Amino acid sequence: MTFDFALAWTSLPALLDGAWMTVLITASVMAVGAGLGFCMCLVRMSRNRALAAIGAAYVAVFRGAPSIVLLYLVYAGLPQISIVRDTPLWILFASPLFCAILGLGLNHSAYVVEILRGGLSAVPAGPVEAALALGLPPRIVFLKVRLPMAVRYGLKAYQNEVLIFLKSTVAVGAVTIADLTGAANEIFSMTYDPFTPLLTAGAMYWLLTNGLRLGFEALDHRLNRHLASNAPDRRPTTVRRPRPGLSLFGQPLVRRLRRLPAKPAARETQ
Amino acid sequence: MGPAFPTPTPTPQGAVTRLRPRAAIELRHLRKRYGEQEVLRGVTLTVERGEKIVLCGPSGSGKSTLIRCINGLEQHDGGTIAVNGVTLDADGRGVQDVRREVGMVFQHFNLFPHMTVLENCAFAPRHALGLSAAATAERAMHHLARVRIADQADKYPAQLSGGQQQRVAIARALCMDPRIMLFDEPTSALDPEMVAEVLQVMEELAAQGMTMLCVTHEMGFARHVADRCVFLDGGEIVEQAGAERFFAAPESERLKRFLKQMLH
Repeated sequence: MTFDFALAWTSLPALLDGAWMTVLITASVMAVGAGLGFCMCLVRMSRNRALAAIGAAYVAVFRGAPSIVLLYLVYAGLPQISIVRDTPLWILFASPLFCAILGLGLNHSAYVVEILRGGLSAVPAGPVEAALALGLPPRIVFLKVRLPMAVRYGLKAYQNEVLIFLKSTVAVGAVTIADLTGAANEIFSMTYDPFTPLLTAGAMYWLLTNGLRLGFEALDHRLNRHLASNAPDRRPTTVRRPRPGLSLFGQPLVRRLRRLPAKPAARETQ
Repeated sequence: MGPAFPTPTPTPQGAVTRLRPRAAIELRHLRKRYGEQEVLRGVTLTVERGEKIVLCGPSGSGKSTLIRCINGLEQHDGGTIAVNGVTLDADGRGVQDVRREVGMVFQHFNLFPHMTVLENCAFAPRHALGLSAAATAERAMHHLARVRIADQADKYPAQLSGGQQQRVAIARALCMDPRIMLFDEPTSALDPEMVAEVLQVMEELAAQGMTMLCVTHEMGFARHVADRCVFLDGGEIVEQAGAERFFAAPESERLKRFLKQMLH
């Protein structure tokens, strides 16, 4: 029960290959989820009752089903249908990677629908009315006022969902794809050393999720620069959140290194 | 006296000949209900061009609903609304034309929080009128200077005081070159020391000849600026008069009671 550094070093290329596959799948699923989720959110929020019911059913099915079940259904189930097997569609569905991205994307997009819907419903009526009163076309009001505000409201929940599904990508092993976990497992079965490859893989997952987290925090900082960043923080010290930014253990890294006080005295902006 | 208007000429068809210049806003028997509750019960009101009208009344009397109907933020259920001769149908047709002519200022400012002050002002000319970025920025700066806040152009609304935000909101509306301005309790959400700066901007706007319909309880403003004060209660116009007579010699009991409460 020891960690074999030599083995960790020699298995690094194989694990990195697996990590690359995990990253590739995650990025693709995020893209599919964003596109599908946005479209299905519009369907879900349609004023047309039939369309809204279709959207609700979409969410109920794809959020309700475990992603591994969806993977099997797409990979093994759909080819049973002639229209998939006997047409050019087969080129796509014969690829495990395509099936994995589609299966996980369906699951992820259902969450995106609900996150985006929550964000859109949280947008206050005021700015939207102001935009309409200025004579702006409703399409512009949606794209430039309502949606950007909704994205800001939903960002935290979206970050949560992405971090969770990044780890659930291990399910792609079920459709023969060698991702990070798959690579670690293979090294385990060749060397009979469970600790070294799995701990190394675990460390890589940790780096991936925390890299993503830092990315999200930077995005949050950028999108919400209109909020707290230079405005005086009048809340009591106990509820203040550290400034979003480069932070590893809750405290901004720069501040810890420089040993700065917890929050510089709030600068009054008239 | 209002400005002189060109004499209306008969249309080529000769069908419509107007006897008097077109009013800025013409409301006839305006009705609006929310479910069972009737909020406006047949309001008839004409706002001439260049006229400044102050609308007041107890809360729930329908003041806000009335001005929100004029630019189609609420759809009316009966009667007619015409703005500069454009009729706003109950089903919302003509609404886009009307909104181009009518600027609106809200009680809670309703600035776009994710845009800078300059972007707030440039947004509508850019996307509704299709002007170039340079032209919209220039226009925005012109109107920001008019409300004396050009030095804050690169800040975000959250970094400004309430009074500053409301002045930005006025500039944002002016950027669309409206012929009429609607104000929905523009100073009610402000700290007392910020009311004056907003009222001053509104008075300057009035002095420049803007047609204004203003829901407010600022009696000083009404006295200085209003050509007419209109008292709304229970969804109908109870009394209207010039500002002096309105406050000094109210006729109806309801207005007397309302003014008495306001003075407390």
